Amino acid sequence: MAGSADGARELLFAAKGMRKSFGPVRALYDVDLSIYRGEITGLIGENGSGKSTLSSIIAGMLRPDSGEMSLLGRSHAPATMTEGARLGVGMVVQEMGTVPGIGVAENIFLGEEGRFRRFGLIGRKRMIEAAREALRAIGSDIESAAPIDGLDMQDRKLVELAKVMYGDPSLLIVDETTTALSHHGREMLYAVMRRMALEGKAVLFISHDLPELFALCDTLTVLRDGEYVATTPKDEMSERRIKHLMVGRQTGDHYYRGDFDGRFGEEVVLRASEVTTGTGLLENFSLALHRGEILGIGGLSHCGMHELGRALFGEERLMTGTVQHVATGRAVSSPIAAMGLGIGYVSKNRDVEALVLAASIKDNIAAAALDRIASPSGLIWPRGEKAYVEAQIKALDIKCASMHQGVQYLSGGNKQKVVFGKWIGRGCDILVLDCPTRGIDVGVKAAMYDLMYRMKREGRSIVLISEELTELIGMSDRLLVLKDGHLAGEFPRGQGLTETAIIETMI
Amino acid sequence: MEDTLNHDEPGRTPDGAPKKRRRPSAAALGELAPLLGLLLISTLFLVLTEGRIFGPINLRSLTNQELITALVAAGAVFVFGAGAFDMSMSGSLCLTAIIGAKVAMATGSIAAMVVACVAVSLLIGIVKGLLAAYVEVPFFIVTIVIGVFLGALGLLAMGKETVLTISALPRIRDMTPINLGSLASVFLGGLVLFNLTSLGKSCKLVGGNERAARQSGIDVRRTKLLAFLVSALTVSIAAIVILLRTKTASALTGGTVGTDIMVALVLGGMPLSGGPRSRIGAALVGAATITVLNSGLAIMGAGPGVIQGFRGITFIAVVFVASLSYRTRLLPR
Repeated sequence: MAGSADGARELLFAAKGMRKSFGPVRALYDVDLSIYRGEITGLIGENGSGKSTLSSIIAGMLRPDSGEMSLLGRSHAPATMTEGARLGVGMVVQEMGTVPGIGVAENIFLGEEGRFRRFGLIGRKRMIEAAREALRAIGSDIESAAPIDGLDMQDRKLVELAKVMYGDPSLLIVDETTTALSHHGREMLYAVMRRMALEGKAVLFISHDLPELFALCDTLTVLRDGEYVATTPKDEMSERRIKHLMVGRQTGDHYYRGDFDGRFGEEVVLRASEVTTGTGLLENFSLALHRGEILGIGGLSHCGMHELGRALFGEERLMTGTVQHVATGRAVSSPIAAMGLGIGYVSKNRDVEALVLAASIKDNIAAAALDRIASPSGLIWPRGEKAYVEAQIKALDIKCASMHQGVQYLSGGNKQKVVFGKWIGRGCDILVLDCPTRGIDVGVKAAMYDLMYRMKREGRSIVLISEELTELIGMSDRLLVLKDGHLAGEFPRGQGLTETAIIETMI
Repeated sequence: MEDTLNHDEPGRTPDGAPKKRRRPSAAALGELAPLLGLLLISTLFLVLTEGRIFGPINLRSLTNQELITALVAAGAVFVFGAGAFDMSMSGSLCLTAIIGAKVAMATGSIAAMVVACVAVSLLIGIVKGLLAAYVEVPFFIVTIVIGVFLGALGLLAMGKETVLTISALPRIRDMTPINLGSLASVFLGGLVLFNLTSLGKSCKLVGGNERAARQSGIDVRRTKLLAFLVSALTVSIAAIVILLRTKTASALTGGTVGTDIMVALVLGGMPLSGGPRSRIGAALVGAATITVLNSGLAIMGAGPGVIQGFRGITFIAVVFVASLSYRTRLLPR
């Protein structure tokens, strides 16, 4: 285990025998973790391996069932995140950690407004000034007097980082934050992390992005199914080895499709003509999706590709143009119309738009198939419903205690499988996938890619919208690059297709 | 499979620990909590009132009270389940009963009265349903206004009278078959509609996450409209039962049913925000609990003010406990 290798390393944090269960689901089982001063410790594992549970416990958001922790030589058992912060743990969470409806400065000093009190009133000016300092300290120039709602996801994450760093933590936990950040935002975060290490503090870094982990971390700890697997020092990290440790079996080198045959059918199945969305992010955009085609759509975050996905499913109000299902000649004017025409849609915002979190796996999968599982009398019998859901759980290998389990308890990858299950069960001929592998581990990703490729070969058509270039290059038959709501470039599938060529058309 | 994998790993030996620990008893207890609550309150008042609460005379009054709350609450499960917070139930019931009484006084026909009640209530339901589907204002605010408006309409319809007395109707000797019949049909119908049809399932999904429901091909507006129609139907049945039993209607008819059903649903184990945890059984169990509570306090000599206050405290306590378990269950992943 880590620590024994180098006697000079000074232990900053240690956890021993951590256990935590949520009802029937065992999230952590006897996990040990050591974090040393001046180091960035990576934590990796498939979704549901217990990374977030462990970090939440360290930060005080959750309490362990058993196990002991120590921080800076003292026993560490925070009951709340506030107490955790006071003891020296700062965490930037995976989800949005800012409060809407108030300003940037108010967010940074949430709960600590008292510092700026004078004669019983809060000195807003001083608070804004202090917030500006806090933001500058992480290298950001976000206006601290602005309302938080005007900020995009990335800037909100940075505000959160500034808030955490203002508390001067000894241990900074970064939990899958980078997916929300652009290149620039990531650099800012990396700089903060490196500075922490230089100052003799420590960072616990959770990410799915292997190159990122390799570049930053001094050691990498792998969890699987809630158990400790191994800790790898920097010089032993390799993609192959880590993936092997995570999955517990050898993974193939190619997890995208292996062929470079970008052929697809002649027949156009879905056509968007001169589409302008109400948000104005997409302007007079046209595309044709063919039978058996995986059509990749890429671009920067505000290029209009997400709106395009919604428009293809009838979820976006159109100012001009139409989306037409070619075989029937019918317009795709609403999700109901789209589903009637065999179109399915996987939203980028899984938890907000694609799942009813409080509902069970069964209810979520059946939600998109109420018309299919109803008996001729119009009644939906439990037996038919269960059989339908069971088939999807099997087909997609959704890991769950039972189909009655709430989806909110599932890991990201399994949640996404539930969303896929909604559409696979309907036998959709056209699937619009918006960032379908976002925040999902390699195992599930590989399964998704495999599924897409299988669907293509069955003659179904897929629109794959993605922020990951490697994924677009790896999977698409044809790749469209959007910029400011217009088509900026089109690339056929081929061995010579590189990221640089695509990035040039994006910017 | 798992074991062999573990053998492959350096420094890792398989332990015999079970993969998943099941605690079905805790979940089952949560499901049974509303029933246990009812049992607890019943026992408590049985002791406190020295058995009088379940004496022959009070039992009848209990059934009558519980019936109205339960009927209205059963329909309300659809509305609240779909995430629409309706605070105008009292107003709906009141206006329906007043118009029904007017028609009965004018025609002397039970059939005409029934038709009038159903028609008026459905009309109110359509208006509420359309507003819920199309108005982009927090809906409970709309329903507060509607409630006041319906009450005003009721007063207008009463004209100079304070109590409408229907003397023209034939006398019904025993209300029991009507009571039981209406309750049984509403609950059986409710159970089937809520659990075995796409309407019921849609209600729960819409209440749980409207956007996700829409993206799953559920017609959110239609679902809300139908939910209000179902609710209107049970309101009209409640109005008919009241008119048949009391032969009177006034501006006070309906009374506290609007708040009673909300307390009942919560006591019955359903969140007022609706969603997947909504259930028809909550209406029956909750209505029984709130009725025993009201009646028990009254028998013990508590005035209306004390009863009202006590109900308020119970309501807050239940909401607090419910939100506690909700929060702890929402957080972990």
